[in-house]
Amino acid sequence: MTTDQHGATGDIDAIRKGFETRNYICNSHIATSIFLAEKLQKPLLVEGPPGVGKTELAKATAEMVGKPLIRLQCYEGLDEAKALYEWKYGKQLLYTQVLKEKLGDLMSGAHGLQESMARLHDFDDTFFSEEFLEPRPLLKALWQPEGAVLLIDEIDKSDDEFEAFLLELLSDYQISVPELGTIKARTTPIVFLTSNNTREIGDALKRRCLHLYIPFPDTGLEQRIIAARVPEMELRLRTQLVAFVQGLRQLDLKKLPAVSETIDWARTLVLLHARELDAELVRNTLNVLLKFQDDIDNVDGEVNALVSKAVQAG
Amino acid sequence: MSEVLGDFIRALRAADVRVSTSESIDAGKVVDLVGFNDRVTLRSALSQVLAKSEDEKQAFTETFDTFFSFEQFKERSQAANENDERESREAEEGGGDGGGGDPSQSCSAAGSGGGGTGGEPQGDSSSANMDLAGLLERGDQAKLQMALAEGARQANLNRIRLFTQRGMFTRRIMEIMGLDGLNEEIERRETSGNEKGAERLMEAREELRGQVRDYVEKQLEIFTANSGRQLREEVLAQMRLSNVDRSDMKIMRELVRKMAKRLVALHSRRKKVARRGTLDVRRTIRANIEFDGLLFHTIWKRTKVDRPKVMAICDVSGSVAQVSRFLLMFLYSLQEVLPDVRSFAFSGNLGETTDLFKREKLEQALSEALRDFGGGSTDYGRALEDFESLAMNDIDHRTTVLILGDARSNYGDPRSDILKLVHARARRVIWLNPEPRSMWNSGDSEMRRLSPYCDKAVTCSSLKDLERVVSELLRSAV
Repeated sequence: MTTDQHGATGDIDAIRKGFETRNYICNSHIATSIFLAEKLQKPLLVEGPPGVGKTELAKATAEMVGKPLIRLQCYEGLDEAKALYEWKYGKQLLYTQVLKEKLGDLMSGAHGLQESMARLHDFDDTFFSEEFLEPRPLLKALWQPEGAVLLIDEIDKSDDEFEAFLLELLSDYQISVPELGTIKARTTPIVFLTSNNTREIGDALKRRCLHLYIPFPDTGLEQRIIAARVPEMELRLRTQLVAFVQGLRQLDLKKLPAVSETIDWARTLVLLHARELDAELVRNTLNVLLKFQDDIDNVDGEVNALVSKAVQAG
Repeated sequence: MSEVLGDFIRALRAADVRVSTSESIDAGKVVDLVGFNDRVTLRSALSQVLAKSEDEKQAFTETFDTFFSFEQFKERSQAANENDERESREAEEGGGDGGGGDPSQSCSAAGSGGGGTGGEPQGDSSSANMDLAGLLERGDQAKLQMALAEGARQANLNRIRLFTQRGMFTRRIMEIMGLDGLNEEIERRETSGNEKGAERLMEAREELRGQVRDYVEKQLEIFTANSGRQLREEVLAQMRLSNVDRSDMKIMRELVRKMAKRLVALHSRRKKVARRGTLDVRRTIRANIEFDGLLFHTIWKRTKVDRPKVMAICDVSGSVAQVSRFLLMFLYSLQEVLPDVRSFAFSGNLGETTDLFKREKLEQALSEALRDFGGGSTDYGRALEDFESLAMNDIDHRTTVLILGDARSNYGDPRSDILKLVHARARRVIWLNPEPRSMWNSGDSEMRRLSPYCDKAVTCSSLKDLERVVSELLRSAV
């Protein structure tokens, strides 16, 4: 038991390091969730504000385990035909035409309707078979022989019915096609679901998933993220930049800047060959960080104070 | 599943975290995977299986920290890894034996620092008691903590529900830990002339008693802290709003927030209703291209269920003010599903308070509205006249007009003709009256003259009533 436990901590650490070499910097909380998702074979529901790296987590995981990433973007009105499978209607039509032409040859020598029908029944029913099945992302993920990482992005944007329809997939890793029966996963995929919390996700779905909440990173973590993503930035500017963004998140804004915005801003500053943060520079580039004019106007008055605080931190 | 985990899940449920059976099974698997050794990992791992929303995560963290805290013996303890030791011991204890074995055995096992392998059965209890005296003398805090936890387990401390049970549980745990033997030992020392030793033990005994008591109180808090509040909330939700005490306002606000959140969750999805019978030609043709243009798969027109525009007219005089306060609180907590709320407040004159509520914090706005429009004698006629000039032109077929008041117009003309006009233009007019139906039409109440122009007139005096009305407002908003 004890060795197992040490193994668990070790495994979690290994996952964290594995992410780090792939430029995805995370804390052990996130690594733990990946560890559990793998061991318990349960889907992982990731929530958090936009831009904290929910989708990125799935991508990094796919890269780490060396399996293909299959992504399904949810939107209102998404249905089975687009998420699961569709019949290849064109091919089916062609098939019937071919069949019609060949029918004469096949039926030659048959007497009466009875015999013809009997002969027809001898053929395999290929019309509804896997050959004519066009797999969509979910089915594709189940069919991958070596398993896959399935990312169901922004599940909160989809309809209630779609959520209900996912339940079978999430709990048993199988789906039912009425004409064919149940299709089971060849290898259990690792499933990620992400949500921006625009609406409450149903309890049934939540119960089947592990739940990970990714908040905005703290100062230390954000600095390491910037260091990994924008390595050409100098240490001093990086410290100042992160301190500024962290200060900004304390304000009452419509949309707080997330990690992705910090990274964009860091790249912008590197492009501008900035060496140090100053109020003028910040004002000119604030639109990279804030996405609402209201927010930019609100922050304008605070820029000087925030910059001086950030410069002190650096 | 280990007993500790079961207790922990019970504590979580008491703290309003909903844990289903399948989730507790998952939690058991997680503990098997991660073990009790690494506290931080265990916490983050369990939080992902058991707590599935932001609120629940917070409650989880708090419960975890109190539940797995071992501070009582800490100050004097030298052992730094005491926590780990106890956790792993508890794990084995819970998983290993199903509560069997006599007290002395488990106690001595704890005393000898065993890892669950247990000592050989010892018939008499004196050795355990000797152990307690010995432990106290040596000041072995880690072992004492173990003995305490074990005692608590055997005394079924997790069943504690009432404040008054504290004394009983404290005594029972002390007894299981070996109080009798300790007393005997003290007596023996006294008679044998070792008075200093006896005194030392007595002091230690009192200290231990205090520690056990603290422990019991903490457990009581973990397992019952919320049940009292839950009961209180239930009572408050059904209480007449005018009777709600000022001291309960904080709970009430929280309650409104919770109810509103539930309603938002219920209604946040924009519903669509299929109008069967009307073919959506454009989309049908598009959908049937793959069938060679044959109309194979038909698509019907759908109507989106619109969110209602709400105009709330609130009487803010006297006794009705309290109800108005909560109605407004409700409506403005529902921004996500009711984005278009206009509010008006009156007692004599009527004024629009929409901007006020947009600008100020809820509490501030409420008190300002009460100051500006409250007081003065109620005059429904004048209020409706003011409403006509302010908002009549904005009422359309999607507007729901909510009027909250007791319809007591001090014998003035209630101007029911204006309400008739409003009724003709609006989708719905709903009258909420805080008085019971039997009081309507008595004295200066004008319900008889006003209610014919309302689609609905209901009594609304408690939070539950309010919730029902608002929920209906959201549901039938076609």
